[in-house]
Amino acid sequence: MTKAVTRGRWALTLSAGALALAAVMPAAAQATDSSVTIVMPGQPDRLDPCETPRSVIGRIIKQNVVETLVELDYSDGSTKPRLATSWQQNSPTEWVFNLREGVTFHDGAPFDAAAVVYTLERTLDPALTCITRTKYFDGNEITAEAVDDHTVRFTTGAPIPILPTLLAQMAIASPNTPKGVYTETPIGTGPYAFESWTQGQNVKIHRNDNYWGAAPGIENATYIWRSESSVAAAMVETGEADLAFSIAPQDADDGEMDKVYPNSETSMFRLSVDVPPMNDVRVREAINLAIDRRAFLGTIISDEAQLATQQVGPNVFGWNADLAPREYDPEEAMRLIAEARADGVPVDTELRLIGRPNMFANSSELVEAVAEMLRGVGFKVKLESLEMSLWLEEANKPFAESRAPTLLLTMHDNNTGDAAFTAFFKYHSDGRQSELHDAVLDGLILDAGTKSGEERKATYNEAFRMIYEDIVSDVPLFHMVNYMRINPRIDFTPTIANAVELQLSGLKFR
Amino acid sequence: MGRYIAGRSAQSLVSLVVLVVLVFFMARLTGSPAELYLPPSATAEQVAQFNALHGFDDPTHLQFARFLAGLLRFDLGESLQYARPALDVVLGAFHTTLSLAAVAMPVILVLSVVTGSLAAWRPGGIFDRIASLISLISASTPNFWIAIVGVLVFAVFLRWLPTSGTGTPAHWVLPVLVLALRPTGVLTQVVRTSMLEALSSAYVKTARAKGVKRSTIIFVHALRNALLPVITVASDQVAGILNGAVIVEVVFGFPGIGKLMIDSVMLRDFAVIQAAVLVIALAIFTLNIIVDIAYALIDPRIRHS
Repeated sequence: MTKAVTRGRWALTLSAGALALAAVMPAAAQATDSSVTIVMPGQPDRLDPCETPRSVIGRIIKQNVVETLVELDYSDGSTKPRLATSWQQNSPTEWVFNLREGVTFHDGAPFDAAAVVYTLERTLDPALTCITRTKYFDGNEITAEAVDDHTVRFTTGAPIPILPTLLAQMAIASPNTPKGVYTETPIGTGPYAFESWTQGQNVKIHRNDNYWGAAPGIENATYIWRSESSVAAAMVETGEADLAFSIAPQDADDGEMDKVYPNSETSMFRLSVDVPPMNDVRVREAINLAIDRRAFLGTIISDEAQLATQQVGPNVFGWNADLAPREYDPEEAMRLIAEARADGVPVDTELRLIGRPNMFANSSELVEAVAEMLRGVGFKVKLESLEMSLWLEEANKPFAESRAPTLLLTMHDNNTGDAAFTAFFKYHSDGRQSELHDAVLDGLILDAGTKSGEERKATYNEAFRMIYEDIVSDVPLFHMVNYMRINPRIDFTPTIANAVELQLSGLKFR
Repeated sequence: MGRYIAGRSAQSLVSLVVLVVLVFFMARLTGSPAELYLPPSATAEQVAQFNALHGFDDPTHLQFARFLAGLLRFDLGESLQYARPALDVVLGAFHTTLSLAAVAMPVILVLSVVTGSLAAWRPGGIFDRIASLISLISASTPNFWIAIVGVLVFAVFLRWLPTSGTGTPAHWVLPVLVLALRPTGVLTQVVRTSMLEALSSAYVKTARAKGVKRSTIIFVHALRNALLPVITVASDQVAGILNGAVIVEVVFGFPGIGKLMIDSVMLRDFAVIQAAVLVIALAIFTLNIIVDIAYALIDPRIRHS
């Protein structure tokens, strides 16, 4: 007996010894002076410059490795020069961009008009499904030609008043980047040059000492990815990493390290306005009044999130500042339902309330709470949670013939700075995710797209007012936020730009 | 022996073919990947263009013929998501999974065989009770919980180990222990039960009566006879690990095949789904053949039947 116990102890000692041995090995090389390690929520699948609008790629290479002609100010949608020093519009369909001189790509190729033309051709190549093309350029006819070495003329089929905004999405790649295949080694003109991509492990970039602009302080950056938020948070806490892009609200428990920033996403329920009883505006109004949005702030949604009234946030050109959020008013909701019922509207029809797991942190809990709020004023509600592909079938046209009245949870991001990338596909009769077919609204949306300046803004403002006040086709929820965890040795305040990029030149050591 | 192995291999081959065909058609039943790869604002023309570019607009039987033709050239197609050959993507991930299995399995086997055997020596004794309790706990603790608690305790609180990643041997300690936990618990129970039976047999009593050393009785005489069920359960555990240790991969940032499979299904990356199923199936069939050979080596009755 004693012998057996002794042996058991020996086995335990052995395993404890193995642990102790591991413990004396260095726990992760602490980042050295001028290097940073950045934790992303997911791994990049391709590092092609034509995919920079996707955050998983843009956050690594956009404006760090590859730059754009025009740089977007994400806070208000305005544009400023980057690789182009100036531009002017010669006619509604012709623009001339003057390029910065003395700039070279990391591979030594000169940055000139030919390189810009090459990048546009490569981006528009149908053999690649580049998001820069599929999201921003398709449907417009855009060509470029070199006027001289440092002047490019863009010609568009139809007038595009926001061409500079579009070009802020096109990262200029070296002319040695092959056409027709995605590259895994992005070569640009930026302050950092691509160094390596170890599949499944990390991406490394280092400072480009020949950069045309001010030299950034950080020499090396390593990007790694952890989808588990608590681990990403732990990595910054232990000093294994310097910055983690998105920490779930429940892990953001350190007031000093965790900083909140708007992520340019807007959450909403979209209502099926053609399906009874939702074809009655009183019912849609009642649904809006039955939901206590403020109750979510500071509970399951960050208290930094903003109540929304429209699909785009204050950072987007065209946002209507005059719309006020509807306040929670269950009595008024019940009164409207009773009134509709008296008029023969089938308000007792079961409503489908559709969510999607992990659309955002606590989205399932939010949907459950909303279901209870709707039941509270007398609606019959059936909860459904659909995975991405099934959710898309509900979100996109064609809609099923005999579908039930539906509240579909959506989250839309517009980080391009202009409402054009929202209004058409969400609200025009021909929009892919539009429930609406209102001739006046269609006119406004098309009209706004052809205008510029204050006129453009006013027209989009009117469109969003009409959608919110007259049609009531949605239940706007929140302009969402993310938490970034930042090691105290780094001085950085995240902004809405960090939803799609992180310019390392903005990071400083304390 | 050779005929026995050949027979088993032929059976495996048939199931492999059925599996490949099933996966091909079932994956496509989920619909076109176009909407997942195009922006939400995509137009019908863009969807059509995407489908044409990747051949998804062809009739399914034509796509299947193309897949078979590729298979003959060991070309499993290109990943939609990674824009690289699907087989490269899968083998890269499978390498990580195999490494995890290769490190975890010896730990699992040594811990469970030693603990299980010693526990069976004196059933009901102190060591047996403690071992049973610990093995039951480890077999039933949810590993997503233990993984995160492990990170919090050993990496954040004690600072003994790195949180995650794959750089040094220290990076492997937590993932391997978490991965080994459940199989070790299960296997310890199996070893104990199996050894109990072996130790109560007549030849063990004879050996004890002759005064043979206890360790010789346990690890030489009894263990060999108790091994068959242990091998069966152990191979199940290996198969489980080869299928992907999703929790360990996700928490510790190990880019293995489990996470890859889930992502590929979610993103309808058909070529990767097919390649991953094929590679895992081949690995498991190989494992089964190794197990069959091990049976035959250990038990002459199987070899000679």
